[in-house]
Amino acid sequence: MSTSQAAQAESRSGAHQAATAPLELLSLRGIVKRFPGVLALAGVDFDLRRGEIHALVGENGAGKSTLMKIIAGMIQPDEGVIRLDGQVRRFQHVLEAQEAGIAFIHQELCLAPHLSVAENIFLAREPMRGPFVDRTRLNADARVLLERLRVDLSPGAPVKSLSVAQQQMVEIAKALSLNARVLIMDEPTSSLTESEIDQLFLNIRALRAQGVGIVYISHRLGELQRVVDRVTVFRDGKHVRTSDFAAITLDEIIGAMVGRTLDQKFPRRTSRPTDERILEVQGLTREGVFKDVSFDLRRGEILGFAGLMGAGRTEVARAIFGADPTSSGTVRLFGQKVHIRSPHDAIRHGIAYLSEDRKGHGLALEMQLSANVTMANVDAVTGRLGFLRFADEVAAAEKYVKALDIKTPSIFQIVKNLSGGNQQKVVIAKWLFRDSRLLFFDEPTRGIDVGAKLAIYQMLDRFAAQGIGVVLITSELPEVLGMTDRVVVFHEGRVTGVLETGRSSQEEIIQFAAGRKTVAA
Amino acid sequence: MTMNEKRRDLIQKFAALGSLSVLITVFALTSHAFFTTTNALTVALQVCTIAYLGLGMTVVIITAGIDLSVGSVLALGGTMAAVLIKGGMPVWAGMLVGLLLGCLAGLLNGLLVAQLRLPPFIATLGMMGVARGVILQITGGRAIAGMNQDFGVLGNGALFKRVTIGADGYPDIKFVGIPYPVIVMAVLAVVMSVVLSRTRFGRHVYATGSNHEAARLSGVNVYRITLSAYVVSGFFAGLTGIVLMSRLVTGQPNEGISYELDAIAAAVIGGASLTQGGIGTISGTIIGAFVIGILRNGLNMNGVSAFVQQIIIGVVILLTVWIDQLRGKRATRVRVFDEQKQVEHSDPPAVPSTDPVR
Repeated sequence: MSTSQAAQAESRSGAHQAATAPLELLSLRGIVKRFPGVLALAGVDFDLRRGEIHALVGENGAGKSTLMKIIAGMIQPDEGVIRLDGQVRRFQHVLEAQEAGIAFIHQELCLAPHLSVAENIFLAREPMRGPFVDRTRLNADARVLLERLRVDLSPGAPVKSLSVAQQQMVEIAKALSLNARVLIMDEPTSSLTESEIDQLFLNIRALRAQGVGIVYISHRLGELQRVVDRVTVFRDGKHVRTSDFAAITLDEIIGAMVGRTLDQKFPRRTSRPTDERILEVQGLTREGVFKDVSFDLRRGEILGFAGLMGAGRTEVARAIFGADPTSSGTVRLFGQKVHIRSPHDAIRHGIAYLSEDRKGHGLALEMQLSANVTMANVDAVTGRLGFLRFADEVAAAEKYVKALDIKTPSIFQIVKNLSGGNQQKVVIAKWLFRDSRLLFFDEPTRGIDVGAKLAIYQMLDRFAAQGIGVVLITSELPEVLGMTDRVVVFHEGRVTGVLETGRSSQEEIIQFAAGRKTVAA
Repeated sequence: MTMNEKRRDLIQKFAALGSLSVLITVFALTSHAFFTTTNALTVALQVCTIAYLGLGMTVVIITAGIDLSVGSVLALGGTMAAVLIKGGMPVWAGMLVGLLLGCLAGLLNGLLVAQLRLPPFIATLGMMGVARGVILQITGGRAIAGMNQDFGVLGNGALFKRVTIGADGYPDIKFVGIPYPVIVMAVLAVVMSVVLSRTRFGRHVYATGSNHEAARLSGVNVYRITLSAYVVSGFFAGLTGIVLMSRLVTGQPNEGISYELDAIAAAVIGGASLTQGGIGTISGTIIGAFVIGILRNGLNMNGVSAFVQQIIIGVVILLTVWIDQLRGKRATRVRVFDEQKQVEHSDPPAVPSTDPVR
């Protein structure tokens, strides 16, 4: 009771406090959080100033999300002090934090898709006229918020018709409608295109100018320089350093994150392309999705798929894998023409497809880690009469937990309870356990920390060297440049070019991806 | 580590097991006839119907489906068997046809769900009407009475039955024996449990229910798995039908109405989830079936009216599932050992958070 009263009192006195309040909007001291068997936060400090964008970075398991959950009132710290505007606060509940002006924009957006933009912004707080919702005011209020964000969105548009980036804006508008002064953004750019990211940065800079403090969590270190004022690095539940962004280099940040200096973000490529063709795709078409896609993949080569979101990269891979139908075109595997009608067929032909959507398409979240590892190859742990050989399964799971450094208390852990990066490693383990001849890896490093990324890159190179065909589908151009030999660039369902990566550049790939340049295939 | 998992599995059944032991204790105290071997066997016999249907239902529920048609399909299978046997077919052959009819109905359910992509609730609701209508039409709604006693052996026979002729010339039953239906239940429960937990098929069933798309992309033949789940459920419905009709020594086309709800309740009490596939166990369902059976039996013995029984059973279902959910929520929270955001969506913000770690 008393806390919520305090919150109200505070929001009333918020305006005049701003003049006299200390520089620190939010200040955390000595925060400790223990989970069974794990010390998630070992007494960390964190400060957020008014009108700053403060990046919080660290590897998976460094404690970033735990700290943010504490700020947002989702969990309570075991020790430590939280000050908001200089006052000690303890949020027992999300709603209390919300009332105090703290908003958390999650990586996975949670909006009601069938309701309009305005209805989502004011969900459960609709302006009323008598027993009815006052639609005019609802839309007008929403318009004001959207203008404040400098977003061009109609308040009446249904949310399901919006792009992910636009939906994110709706979430931010919702936070603003709650008078959010602290905005926590968890991987906000992970599913945005380049131009959408530009727009997002414009929007959050506008919020910064209005005095909102923004905590920005991201694994994409490259984009920090475009927007961040300060950066704090966490490692293993400890605060490593906080610095003005201008006073620190990217290499120093990475060094602080991993506790050592990574000489290279990408491993030296050892495999060399040969003339032998693993995969030849001719004129592959899926009506209304992609058209006349042709490319080939040579032995020893890592082939990139680049392009904007929705350009058809994932769709082409899924079609070759038999997950979606095709209308026409031919696919040759090791010179043999193949007709693949289902993922089951594809897997029998030795093709693996690691989906970009690990929760939706990659994992059985309610099942154990071990069962997920063997899911694509249960046959390998099945004995006579269809009985499972559990000893073999345990051995396989243990092998990959070790090889990929999956952090889990047990191979029997329910996958739902693993962190995102570790879940991704489980999906990778699933496809490694299936000896494949051709791998499609769709955004394999999304949401994964630097060290694990390097391990995955090394793995890809090793596969290519072993003669396994590797297709790397990625939205990150540095990854294309650092890892692939050639890159197929997609634009609106068509291949605009197949480029030699070594002779290309980030700028050129963007030109092709935007459809401004094409090479007749 | 395996021990850990086993313990968790046990705790998972705690809610159901707990209510089961509470029930047994209460009834043992309130009724002296309750805690006897004879009554235990009676209960087991009564539970058979729910248990058979529950075994199939569990498989379907794990695939994230539901089978509302089993009550009707059991009437179809059992009564058709009676009709054919009465018409001169050997008992074994008639019963086999009854089983196959159950499988056929299940196959149709499976095709409606997997091929036509109908929601399982709707597909099996349709089959519920069709199967019932077919058997009522065939029999004209009349029971098939005057069956040969051979037809009754499966339902009424018992193993190790010991009868002596007393001094007064009347038979004196030393031991009522283990009824055949109970033996069948025990054997099939073990078989199904092994199939689900220790075979490739079982693994694929769980994978399909847990994440249909992930299973498909992993090469699991989700079409065939879905089809098989409904065939298994149909098979158990057919079996229930012939055992039930055999016990009555009559083909009864009106038998089995609303039995599907008992089966669903048993699975749910045993921990299966109707909102999320991939969750459920055979042992849980058997416990659930016994909870319902013992409740009915014990309340009967205490002279509780049938109407009040319905109320109590309803409340018990609600309580068990509620306790189970509380426990599930807590367990999820405790196991969040990592920093990430995987578990949030299972914690609706409206629920006041009780942090187990403090």
